[in-house]
Amino acid sequence: MSDKNFNAYQMAQTQFDKVADILSLDDATRQLLREPLREYHFSIPIKMDDGTTKVFKGFRVQHNDAVGPSKGGIRFHPMETIDTVRALAMWMTWKCAVVGIPLGGGKGGVICDPHNLSMREQESICRGWVRQLAKNVGPINDVPAPDVMTNAQHMLWMLDEFEVIHGGKYPGFITGKPVGMGGSLGRTEATGYGVIYTLREALIKLGIDIKKTTASFQGFGNVSQYALQLYTQLGGKAICVSCWDQKDQTSYTYKRDSGITFEELMKITDKFGGIDKEAAKKIGFEILPGDVWIEQKVDILIPAAIENQVRGDNAVKIADTVKVLAEGANGPTTPEADKILAEKGVFVIPDFLANAGGVTCSYFEQVQSNINYFWTKDEVLTKLDNIMSSAFDSVYETSIKNKLYMRDAAYVISISRVAHACKDRGWL
Amino acid sequence: MTEKSQPIEHLVKELEERAKELNCLYKIEDTLNHSDISLEEAFNVVIDAIPPGWQFPAITKAKLEYKGQSFKSEGYIETPWFLKSNIRINDEPIGSITVNYIEPTRDYDEGPFLKEERKLLNTIAERLSHFILHKDTYSFIHDLDSIRGISDGEIKHKWQVILDMLRKTDKPLFNTIIRKLLHNLCWQENKEAQELLKEAGVERETSDLSEETYDENKPIKKKSLDNEEFVESVLRLADENLSDDEILAKLQKWIYDDKCSGLVKTVETLETPLNEIAEALRKYYPLLSNGELSPSIEKGLKVSLLRRFFTDQTEFISIAKDFVEIKDFYELTDKIILPSKSYGKLGGKSAGMFLASKIIAKKARESELFKNIRIPKTWFIPSDGILHFLHYNELEEVIEQKYKEIEEIRREYPHIVQIFKNSDFSPDFINGVSVALDDFGEKPLVVRSSSLLEDKFGAAFSGKYKSLFLANQGSKIERLTALLDAISEVYASTFGPDPIEYRAERNLLDFHEEMGIMIQEVVGTKVGKYYLPSFAGVAFSNNEFRWSPRIKREDGLVRLVPGLGTRAVDRFIDDYPILIAPGQPNLRVNVSLHDKMKYTPQNIDVINLESNEFESQKVERVIKETGSDYPNIRSLISIIKDNHISQPFGFNTDYDNDHIIVTFEGLFQNGPFITQIKELLNTLQRGTQNPVDIEFASDGKDFYILQCRSQTKSKEIQPDPIPRDIPAKKIIFTANKYVSNGKVPEISHIVYVDTKSYYNLSSREELLEVGRAVSKLNKILPKRKFILIGPGRWGSRGDIKLGVNVTYSDINNTAMLIEVAKQIGNYTPDLSFGTHFFQDLVEASIRYLPLYPDDDGTVFNEVFFRKSDNILEHLLPEYKHLEETIKVIDVTNVTDGCILKVLINAELEEAVAFINEPTTSSIKEIDAGEYVEWQPSNYWQWRYRMAEKIASIIPAEKFGVKGLYVFGSSKNANAGPGSDIDLLIHIDDKTADIEKLDLWFDGWSKCLAELNYLKTGYESDGLLDLHYITDEDIKKRTSFASKIGAITDPAKQLRIGKSEAT
Repeated sequence: MSDKNFNAYQMAQTQFDKVADILSLDDATRQLLREPLREYHFSIPIKMDDGTTKVFKGFRVQHNDAVGPSKGGIRFHPMETIDTVRALAMWMTWKCAVVGIPLGGGKGGVICDPHNLSMREQESICRGWVRQLAKNVGPINDVPAPDVMTNAQHMLWMLDEFEVIHGGKYPGFITGKPVGMGGSLGRTEATGYGVIYTLREALIKLGIDIKKTTASFQGFGNVSQYALQLYTQLGGKAICVSCWDQKDQTSYTYKRDSGITFEELMKITDKFGGIDKEAAKKIGFEILPGDVWIEQKVDILIPAAIENQVRGDNAVKIADTVKVLAEGANGPTTPEADKILAEKGVFVIPDFLANAGGVTCSYFEQVQSNINYFWTKDEVLTKLDNIMSSAFDSVYETSIKNKLYMRDAAYVISISRVAHACKDRGWL
Repeated sequence: MTEKSQPIEHLVKELEERAKELNCLYKIEDTLNHSDISLEEAFNVVIDAIPPGWQFPAITKAKLEYKGQSFKSEGYIETPWFLKSNIRINDEPIGSITVNYIEPTRDYDEGPFLKEERKLLNTIAERLSHFILHKDTYSFIHDLDSIRGISDGEIKHKWQVILDMLRKTDKPLFNTIIRKLLHNLCWQENKEAQELLKEAGVERETSDLSEETYDENKPIKKKSLDNEEFVESVLRLADENLSDDEILAKLQKWIYDDKCSGLVKTVETLETPLNEIAEALRKYYPLLSNGELSPSIEKGLKVSLLRRFFTDQTEFISIAKDFVEIKDFYELTDKIILPSKSYGKLGGKSAGMFLASKIIAKKARESELFKNIRIPKTWFIPSDGILHFLHYNELEEVIEQKYKEIEEIRREYPHIVQIFKNSDFSPDFINGVSVALDDFGEKPLVVRSSSLLEDKFGAAFSGKYKSLFLANQGSKIERLTALLDAISEVYASTFGPDPIEYRAERNLLDFHEEMGIMIQEVVGTKVGKYYLPSFAGVAFSNNEFRWSPRIKREDGLVRLVPGLGTRAVDRFIDDYPILIAPGQPNLRVNVSLHDKMKYTPQNIDVINLESNEFESQKVERVIKETGSDYPNIRSLISIIKDNHISQPFGFNTDYDNDHIIVTFEGLFQNGPFITQIKELLNTLQRGTQNPVDIEFASDGKDFYILQCRSQTKSKEIQPDPIPRDIPAKKIIFTANKYVSNGKVPEISHIVYVDTKSYYNLSSREELLEVGRAVSKLNKILPKRKFILIGPGRWGSRGDIKLGVNVTYSDINNTAMLIEVAKQIGNYTPDLSFGTHFFQDLVEASIRYLPLYPDDDGTVFNEVFFRKSDNILEHLLPEYKHLEETIKVIDVTNVTDGCILKVLINAELEEAVAFINEPTTSSIKEIDAGEYVEWQPSNYWQWRYRMAEKIASIIPAEKFGVKGLYVFGSSKNANAGPGSDIDLLIHIDDKTADIEKLDLWFDGWSKCLAELNYLKTGYESDGLLDLHYITDEDIKKRTSFASKIGAITDPAKQLRIGKSEAT
């Protein structure tokens, strides 16, 4: 079953090779960067609730830490493979590098199914994981974060174990902590705001006044909500939002030509980003089929729901008015659609860059934890703006200078940054 | 409207008058039931209680005279306006009670008095005479005690004094005691006594017949035990062989037993209506409550009471008799609404509750853990209430509804509901309900069905009949009207299509179904405008839905919701109860934060006291509105903040702004809930000797059990070995999670509803059509030889897009129901959890399997489903337009004679379906039909079928037989292993040849007896009990002929001659 199956690691390497060709990297650099710098494989013996002992397999992959301590999540997954972890660690390296934060890439995990584990057993696994790696991770080495099936609770257990072993307080060891326990303010807004900071910069470059633009959003989850909030604050006019309706098990597009305000829409939205259809009708929204968000005569499209939403079949329906597509979601655009967008001359802000606000905020959490001084939300968001804006500028410059599609330019810039760091350090 | 309200107002006025009278009577009852109260005290209470019960309390005075003493109300004077009733013991007046009006009023029925007041006074007098009688008995027994106390050597043969006294005052009792004494001596192997018994027992006729010709069948003549000589011998022997103490103790016991014999007789006589039993219990209660009934009599009484009130099922009785006390029945009768002549039972649900409450009460005596477990206040209406209702409204023809085609039943059901709701109840009945309503006050109520079939051992009718909630607010008329309306609606549900289909399916259609009703106080507290329990749910001993291999079946399963338990029992789209396995409370179904947030109760069922309605509300809204007033709220909720879930503590909860979800984390982690429910399930399982299924609720302080029944048991299920060498191209699908063991027969047809195509159907009408088409296929395709595969949740109520819209009767012939969780966009449908529907599947041995085709390592051969010939058009041409959505595959046809084989192994969490050769005879399949018959609960089915068989082959014309009926246990589905088959043979008295008939039946009878012996080990000479009746008998309704067309327990006519049934 292995060779037929999709292999994430092989795919990540192929992607790297493509950019390495563009950059004409030398063999040694290619060799170093297409594989992880370090890998830890270890066993975590756990006393189960029923008195038996079970041994769980744990990993940590540090792909590259030339720019700074490795950063990446810890996954609890029963079907985990080392190749998946390697691929994810590599992507983390590029993601940190594209926004220019001083962190490398890492990823880790434990092969286990939390459905079969009590909370106490999960706690034991978290602590066991830290005991095995206490010397190799830490605020100046490798900084874990929550990922699949792990959350703030797991991070706090790990932090506690780390601090017990090292006999001190090291809140910068891990991110994803709750506010008040070393977490950062502004985390909720970070990704959505990040999208709009890059969009704002893009519009400036394109010579478009954001106050005269209109936009259509797909999805109304966390990312889309705050993107819409900041976009309208900056003077843009959001005219439609599409989202899933849990009750009707379909999605709808909610449209109002006079514009949508964040506060008004949030009042009729549930915890999962579902909009109350009846309430929306009452405040003057047209309820349209879920897929018409893409056909709207607007300047900006922001797909911020799930992957594969802009495809060959519907990209052709994109109105001629559309000038920018900002990818709030991960992988919303298929390669086929990419071609159509290029032909139509739509400026694309790639997901890789547009939604890097999240990882940037994690970086801020780590910085604040290290200095043990926590910023106000405004401070966080201002710093985020700075980082996102300059990241956009760099990618844009690269794309213009080298006549690269924005998506390729983003990769080029991050890989070359890491390659430089390795060379500067004298590794290569 | 006004026309109708007039008589109701009048009725209420009358009812108020009755309520006064009842209050008076209750007060008196209450006092007289305290056996420790003195006569004097009791009389004074009676005197005080009388005036408020009369129409004009202010001018009412009472006087009681007893043995020369006189007790009077204050200000009593003799007037010409009085009612008088004598207090009698053994028909001798020993006193009287008089009620006077001290001022004149206008005339009513009897002078200034109402006829009801006359009745009331007579009742009070009768009640007083019981009381005095008991007091006398007590003093008598007390005297015995004191005699016993001082007899130590001081006064010899004190017992003889007692016997002498008895000899003079109570000759029959004296004789009984002498006989018992003699028996007792015989048991002690006293030779002389045995001689004496022999002599006394049989008096040979002084004829010259020798021993050899002594005819065994001739009745033995009894010798009178009355003669002096005999008595003296017994007394002498007793004196010689038994100690004084021994004799005294025995005397006391026997005298006591004798006093209770009246109750035994009443209870054991089947002709005694329930109200007379209740009356007898009340009468004898003071005697029973502190007496020492001999164990055998007590056990016998308990069994008879269980049989009369609950069921004839021996399984139930043999278990229940160890847990119940006679006083329990006394308390029970207080809460039964009895039609004047009721022979009904309280039904399955009531029986289960009653037993459970007694098992728990017993346990509570030894375990702290059970101290706060309670049963809500409940009133019962016996099962024949529905017959009285039908009769009163001349609706009898509705009973035959069940024999109609299911389509017809379904069509007519809404009309039946309307007819029932617009029918009347008898004034008697309304009166009873009104008393119950007064007892409940304005507490919200739930009216639950408790039918005879429902919750029988082995067949769970879960949710087939209605349960209705009533806010029970407003004026008495409004509340009464609403309650009666609910009762009629529950009655109507007996004739609904689903229960009838279900019964037909389990061969229970001919069972004479009656519907008992439980009116239960809703557990809960008033919070703001709502009335709700803190939480409620259902719990199962056996976990048939295991989300982790670490959870074992016996770890049990609990489905918990905030508010009323309806949401735990039913299933809803986009709403989820919290599931927990009490044996593995730390293994949760939902682990990730997202899942915890999503799979949490979204809605809550409450009773809105303002709108007077049962309603569903958003949990979020109710928590916001009620905040910390919500009972035990901190145990229910968790707070989500910054990707972190935490428990409320201190003052950290802001009910208005926090993101709060229901998790029951506090309940699980702190406090006894988990231990309690686990121990409860264990105790009930041990007690009832069956896995159980309970409904419960908590008001935040106490834990209430609302229902208890035996959990559906599937037959012994062994995991199938799964071959590892099945060729990949033959595999149709595999599953690797949520696999439950079970055998699936060989499949000849597949009904496949294509996920994508189903979701793409554009109109609601088309979606509904899919359900209807499946329903029709269910009727056409070979039973248990086809499987249904479809997207999402089959039969989900509400949103149709989540799964094909069907009810149980639309899918009941499938061998297997398969739900497919195939991802559509970002959405993967959630499959169904253990619910009513699920239990139906288990009951019918329909296997359930969820498939996750997007999961790694699973096979889902969509090509096979898509490419195979679709025979939908041939089967149902009218649904041809749905052939893209519904594929009907004739497996045998498309695979050259092969079948689909499904193997399931829950231990490995694996299931595989593949194309295979049909099994040859080398592997012997157990015929499910045969297998079922050997279950204890099916003794009657076999008998019933045999009766049908006899009817089908009897040479009726030759023998002059006009008709054949079956009645009794074989018809009522309560035959035990030793029961016979009662047949009524309607003969033509001119042509019938009884001799030949006897011979013919005798052969059958002996054969069946032999068969029964082989099956059960019960020996008998014959299994048939024959009763010949003639036209004349039927006309006059004499003896057994009255069974034909009787309202209760009528005989069922069998079809003579060849019938399909055989």
